[in-house]
Amino acid sequence: MNKDTGFKRYLKIDLLPTPWCPGCGNGIVLKTICQAFDELNLPKNGTVVVSGIGCAGRSAGFFDLDSVHTAHGRAIPVAEGIKYANDALNVVVVSGDGDLLGIGGNHLLHAIRRNTNITVICYANEIYGMTGGQVSPTTPHGTKTLTTPNGNQDQPANVQSLFKHHNCYYARTTAYHLNHMKKCITEALKFNGFSFVEARTMCIVNYGRRLGYKNSNEMLLHYKEFYKVNDNATELAQNEIGIIKSAS
Amino acid sequence: MPKQLLQGNQAIAMAAEVAGLKFFAGYPITPASEIIHEMVNKKHIKVLQMEDEIASLNAVIGASLAGLKAMTATSGPGFSLMQESIGLAHMMEVPLVIVNVQRVGPSTGMPTLPAQGDVIQCIHGSHGDYFPIVFYPNSVFELYKFTVNAFNAAEESMSPVILLSDGYISHLYETIIPHRDFDIKKRDRQPLGAGNRHFTGLSHEDSLPKTSDIDNYRRLITRLHEKQQLTAQRYNDYEYIECSKDTDTLLISYGALSRIAYHFKDTFSLYRPIRMFPVVEEIKIIAPRYKRIIIMEMNTGQYAHEIERILHREVEFIPILGGRIDLVEINQKLLGVNHDRRP
Ligand SMILES: Cc1ncc(C[n+]2csc(CCOP(=O)(O)OP(=O)(O)O)c2C)c(N)n1
Ligand code: SF4
Repeated sequence: MNKDTGFKRYLKIDLLPTPWCPGCGNGIVLKTICQAFDELNLPKNGTVVVSGIGCAGRSAGFFDLDSVHTAHGRAIPVAEGIKYANDALNVVVVSGDGDLLGIGGNHLLHAIRRNTNITVICYANEIYGMTGGQVSPTTPHGTKTLTTPNGNQDQPANVQSLFKHHNCYYARTTAYHLNHMKKCITEALKFNGFSFVEARTMCIVNYGRRLGYKNSNEMLLHYKEFYKVNDNATELAQNEIGIIKSAS
Repeated sequence: MPKQLLQGNQAIAMAAEVAGLKFFAGYPITPASEIIHEMVNKKHIKVLQMEDEIASLNAVIGASLAGLKAMTATSGPGFSLMQESIGLAHMMEVPLVIVNVQRVGPSTGMPTLPAQGDVIQCIHGSHGDYFPIVFYPNSVFELYKFTVNAFNAAEESMSPVILLSDGYISHLYETIIPHRDFDIKKRDRQPLGAGNRHFTGLSHEDSLPKTSDIDNYRRLITRLHEKQQLTAQRYNDYEYIECSKDTDTLLISYGALSRIAYHFKDTFSLYRPIRMFPVVEEIKIIAPRYKRIIIMEMNTGQYAHEIERILHREVEFIPILGGRIDLVEINQKLLGVNHDRRP
């Protein structure tokens, strides 16, 4: 096991670099998750990370903890099996928006309903990154992707609405708002029940550059300008980030 | 140990508990639902009714990695949904048991009628090459015994083991002595939360994903294959009844249908595989003694093709379709000659 101190102790430093493209936002989310682990001093023995398939899903293998890289969309039921088998474990899911909201969407609905005490961190990059840039459940209306050459005809999933009327935790944050992201993840890990963090992050190679961004820094600046923090809302507006602990 | 009148599915649930089952996840389906109904009344077993069979098997995988003996039970439609995760469990080497109580397919088919149409799906249903151990008992006592064996074989091979049943034997009531005289295998791996291991469906070496190392992939598949063969050898289960009279014919059948085959034991020699896969090698020694081999099964020749492949010779076969097991009809079919390949 890694002998580092601080957040780095949660990473398999020897395995770096990750397979991600230069400028990819996934590394920011990965690092912030480890910082949240560090802040809470989560025991390395006793914490398990579970992921699905996709660029984001590859995160699991970089944690210096026991981790499971499941099939596409199946991270949540595997994580629930782990948690119900051993309640003493901290179980954290890390995966992409396509994985968690698309192919795995039905599992998410029911994990919310069961209020399983696990934390899900969704790397929401608005695209299917790994497969080359097809429309995903969070792609905004009108956006051109490989499979929507005339612009996305559908509305993106309103993820927070899934949590309404359930005694769960939902937060939205972005890769620009580092302290906010850390807070969202830390609070989620502390929450007793199902918690979900929608971390907006950038896929420059298979998304941003096609939309005209020159580099991922420009995408970060867009987050900075577009999103306002609102941590006391019961519902977040489209341009807001914040934490909602659903009313019971 | 007193005798008990048990239904096949009840015997499976009872034996699972004897084998050390601690976690069950499933989704209702005829003719397997009695298994989950039994499970919810057991004190030391965590039971989850999931949103579908995909979630069920994935929860079982998670629970098994977390250190518990775990299982699920379903029928054809659910077994189809589980195929993706069966491949995952082979790749990640997760011990667990899947019961498939077969009913008439394809699709929703005839839910209340028994069939044997999922035999080949057991070994080829998921993509890629994998080498599952599959048992198919033919009585309530055998369901009991081979449920325990399935759990043991799962621990020995660190892989998902399939217990086939059918709507007939799972709903059959028989008196059995549910003894506990088994050697129960323990888990030979630390549960999740004990290290920095990485379990992945990607090709890998130990904890490292190796997505383009071809030699490593070949080594991995060879190791997985050999491991399955080695465990299977400890369960060379089959039944062979040599005909008391002279006969040149061997009648092969299994599961529900093999029960009616006993009726012909004075006409033909009988052979019944119990460990369906990997195919028990003894058939290669027994078969050459007979000029004719007839395979009778409740599908259009799934195991017949497998036997032909293994024996390198043609066999005759009799498909018994649609869930009807009728002695008069079977008698007619068996005593006719030239069984052809039309259903
Ligand atoms: C059953 C199945 N269908 C399709 C794929 C191909 N596939 C791999 S990753 C992926 C999309 C991942 O998108 P997302 O979850 O948004 O993650 P990202 O790559 O953007 O991080 C798809 C469709 C697969 N692996 N399995
Ligand atoms: S394709 Fe996009 S999401 Fe995937 S690694 Fe590259 S930049 Fe990141």
